[in-house]
Amino acid sequence: MDIIKATNIHRKFGSGDLESHVLKGIDITVREGEFVAIMGKSGAGKSTLMYQLSVLDEPTEGSVIINDVDVIPLSESESTAFRLHTLGYVFQNYALVPDLSAEENVMLPLLMRGNDWGEAKKLARAAIDGVGMEGKYTNLPAELSGGEQQRISIARAVAGKPKILFADEPTANLDTVSGTQVIDLITDLNRNDGQTVVMVTHEREYAMGCDRIIHMENGLVTDIEQLR
Amino acid sequence: MRALRIGFLLGFRQIQRANFWTTALIIFVMMLTFLNLIAVSGILVGLIAGSERAVQEKSLGDIIITPLENEEQILQTETIRRILDTLPEVSSYSIRYQEGVRLTANYKTRRDLNIEPNTIGTQAVGIDPIAENAVTALAENIVEGEYLNPDESGYIIVGALNLDRYTAGFADITGSLEDVYPGDSLRATINGASREFTVKGIVNAKAGGVASFIYLPENELRRLSNSPSRNADEIAIRLADTSPETALLVKSVLVNQGIDSFAKVRTFQEALPKFITDIKQTFNILGTFIGAVGIIVASITIFIIIFINAISRRQQIGILKGIGIDRKAIEVAYVLQSAFYALAGSLLGALVTYGILIGYFDRNPIDFPFSDGILVAEPIGTFYRFLILFVITLFAGFVPAWIIVKQNTLNSILGRK
Repeated sequence: MDIIKATNIHRKFGSGDLESHVLKGIDITVREGEFVAIMGKSGAGKSTLMYQLSVLDEPTEGSVIINDVDVIPLSESESTAFRLHTLGYVFQNYALVPDLSAEENVMLPLLMRGNDWGEAKKLARAAIDGVGMEGKYTNLPAELSGGEQQRISIARAVAGKPKILFADEPTANLDTVSGTQVIDLITDLNRNDGQTVVMVTHEREYAMGCDRIIHMENGLVTDIEQLR
Repeated sequence: MRALRIGFLLGFRQIQRANFWTTALIIFVMMLTFLNLIAVSGILVGLIAGSERAVQEKSLGDIIITPLENEEQILQTETIRRILDTLPEVSSYSIRYQEGVRLTANYKTRRDLNIEPNTIGTQAVGIDPIAENAVTALAENIVEGEYLNPDESGYIIVGALNLDRYTAGFADITGSLEDVYPGDSLRATINGASREFTVKGIVNAKAGGVASFIYLPENELRRLSNSPSRNADEIAIRLADTSPETALLVKSVLVNQGIDSFAKVRTFQEALPKFITDIKQTFNILGTFIGAVGIIVASITIFIIIFINAISRRQQIGILKGIGIDRKAIEVAYVLQSAFYALAGSLLGALVTYGILIGYFDRNPIDFPFSDGILVAEPIGTFYRFLILFVITLFAGFVPAWIIVKQNTLNSILGRK
């Protein structure tokens, strides 16, 4: 079953002579439980494509249907609610709130979903345990290494069991060891829990655990590589 | 509700993890704003309140009885005296007799008759020294010499404003006595009858007329003015409880006893000259205006603080929205910070005002020519001003947060304009 169906996606920035046509008509589908990597050189449009698929941006043209919901007509507040309940995000700079402890960071979306404090704390701790960060519940982000912060970020993304996990170059700021650990973690989530994952990366070795690699160049899909 | 809960978590943690000195500085600024709002207008109003208090304590008493409009003196003074003696609320009262008097200072030393005699016209107040002192503590305001002794005769107390050395020249219009000191002799003339008195003391007080009059025992005044009438010109009453409410209560008792058909009965507040209440209102408006300027400055300060705070966390705000946190929750976080600064600053300001400043100004009034200024900060007025400060601060915190939070989510995440 297709959980993401994007059709004829165009994304332009600016206007007139300064117009930049970043995505030039992309059709893409992602099946439930699939692990898809989007690869390409810098400026290929891979991150821009992910933003369209993850409801963080709105294409200039085309349609995006996620989990049977047409997300293009959604209002800002509807989009926010949709992202909260359906999607999880891992950003390349970890994006943890520096004033909150690790568990509070993970609790945030859970509280927003309506879980009470005790319930959210329990789920958050389970998610933190799940990414191998037992005992680091009360640490502030500044007290964690980059790899540890990224693992907390993954815990925050998956604690609410989203339909799709989006990861935007999650290893970009990490050393090789930490990067590998993070990729292994995401891969495990896909393999063991059936988590649908869409990941942007420019490092092939990190994409080798995926089911499919979508290659992009100059705003177009140039190749789809089926690994599994 | 969820947004509120998350907003509180975010806001509370931001305050908790913020730099201590930065937070302290912001709270200090808010405290100064609060003081500007409360203390400045409080001192302006206090100048008049100090004057009011002085008039109450040193001149009018808590209730003042004066002649009816068409009468020159209080009718049935003895009847009123008997009634006052029966009221337990009345702690003391002073029956005063007044006459216009001409005082001459240099009549003994003036050798050259071409020189004008040093004479002034003033008001002589005949009192029972003990009763007057019980009501107005007149003896405490003696600045030179001594207070009247009821067993002596031939002595007077002279108000300082009748003397050249106390009036610093502004009495040129009304005239003043030169080189008069306790122990000197003055000639008092009333209705053509003259008598020599010795100056026993000089009285000075910043309260309606106290320092303008001369004082002598009432029997000596009546003898000099050759007045057989025992009807007085003024009765000042001091109550055991000096509050305005008790004054109103006792006034109604006196009126019920029929005193209002012999004299005019007024509480201290009713008897205050209109110009005092007018000045009070004007100073209040002036104080409010100065306070309003303070509020504007404070709101701009809070706006800038929250704006810088929010703009420096723009990417974080974008990410929060990105992961599905309602924008209201983020706005609540910043409004909560503003509320904290306003509350903490106001609380400190209130502690300083009520714990230090009011007591300090009570003990050390500001020395103004027409009054001893105190700090007036009525709790209810303070509360309303705090409420205004609080609401405006919340608004000043909300607006910058709203400006930043409403920006496009992805642009915020990527740091794009």
